[in-house]
Amino acid sequence: MTVVPAQQSGGGGGSSGLYDVLELVLDRGLVIDAFVRVSLVGIEILKIDVRVVVASVDTYLRFAEACNRLDLEAGPRKDPGLPDLVGEMTESGARGKSKGALSGAAETISDAFKQARDDGSERQGESRPRARKSTSSRRKEEQE
Amino acid sequence: MSTYVYGIAASSHPGLPEGMSGVGDPPRPVRILREGDLVAVVSEAPDGLRPKRKELLAHQNVLSEAGAAGCVLPMRFGSVAPDDNSITAVLAERAEHYKERLQALDNRVEYNVKANHVEEAVLHQVMAESPDIRGLAEANRQAGGGSYDDKIRLGELVAAAVKAKEADDGAAVQRALASAADDVSAGPESTGWLANVSFLVDRDSAESFLAAVEQLRNDMPHLEVRVNGPLPPYSFVEPGPAEPAGTVASGTDTGAG
Repeated sequence: MTVVPAQQSGGGGGSSGLYDVLELVLDRGLVIDAFVRVSLVGIEILKIDVRVVVASVDTYLRFAEACNRLDLEAGPRKDPGLPDLVGEMTESGARGKSKGALSGAAETISDAFKQARDDGSERQGESRPRARKSTSSRRKEEQE
Repeated sequence: MSTYVYGIAASSHPGLPEGMSGVGDPPRPVRILREGDLVAVVSEAPDGLRPKRKELLAHQNVLSEAGAAGCVLPMRFGSVAPDDNSITAVLAERAEHYKERLQALDNRVEYNVKANHVEEAVLHQVMAESPDIRGLAEANRQAGGGSYDDKIRLGELVAAAVKAKEADDGAAVQRALASAADDVSAGPESTGWLANVSFLVDRDSAESFLAAVEQLRNDMPHLEVRVNGPLPPYSFVEPGPAEPAGTVASGTDTGAG
């Protein structure tokens, strides 16, 4: 379990924290009409629409397998020590995974920009290779 | 030369991040623009600024530093003004509004909470609560895993049950923490969390808020709960209470104008 200290140091916001606050930095905060906003072209791949449960055959099969493996005798909460351990392992596993996906996306962004620069192109609206299209649901800000 | 804006604060703010490294490569030094009772935390806006990891970090670090010492209204990433004068003009023009917001958010910070299911634990719950699912799973197991159709049927039932739990647990997370906070703001959706909620918390109550989070973790061990904070109040800068409720269709995307 991650225990967040009551007060983090002000200068914090290390890179691991960035992934969790990224959407706030990009999606929240004050917007002033008189100012221009830097184009967020490319950032859409950070907003991959991973619905938590995806209704797909793959998901169904995965769940079915998982249920077959579950030890029902142990009940939903087993003994008090165990769920924590399982939770912890799953947690760090999941974190590693999502972090990996995001850094991957970030790299893809950098690559896309590098490529755009190399092409000598300053325009932002033109198409670029979509390395990770996924099931991204475009949000309207991205079209601005 | 255009100017990048990080945030707005009161001129009485005790710890403005002047001279800190801002966006750009090399990082542009952070400057302070003053206008009346307000200041803007700015730097030169580098040409071709892009939403890269490094730049987002710089934006967040400057605001995090400023927010640690006092109240700051964080700008959304990437706000660029044509020049310094146009920023001080906005500060002058909307001074009352920003002062009101700064006052409302004074001594308050944002905590962002995200939650997900621990898969194995939630599957246990789903099976424990549904005789149908249990029966199907048992039948499949005895049939050595079951046919493709049997697996799909079981998986479909399980997925529906887990989905329903996501909705319930998302609401439960918000309910459990709302009472320990001054305000609540739903985070951006579609980012893969069953709950993604920001809470506005008085600095002096931060400990009890975090205790509520711990309690939540204990009460709902099938959830992985992540907390980020204290953050500058990104999710609470708008809309001001001066605006009549309901006049803004979608509050989060509208400008301050």
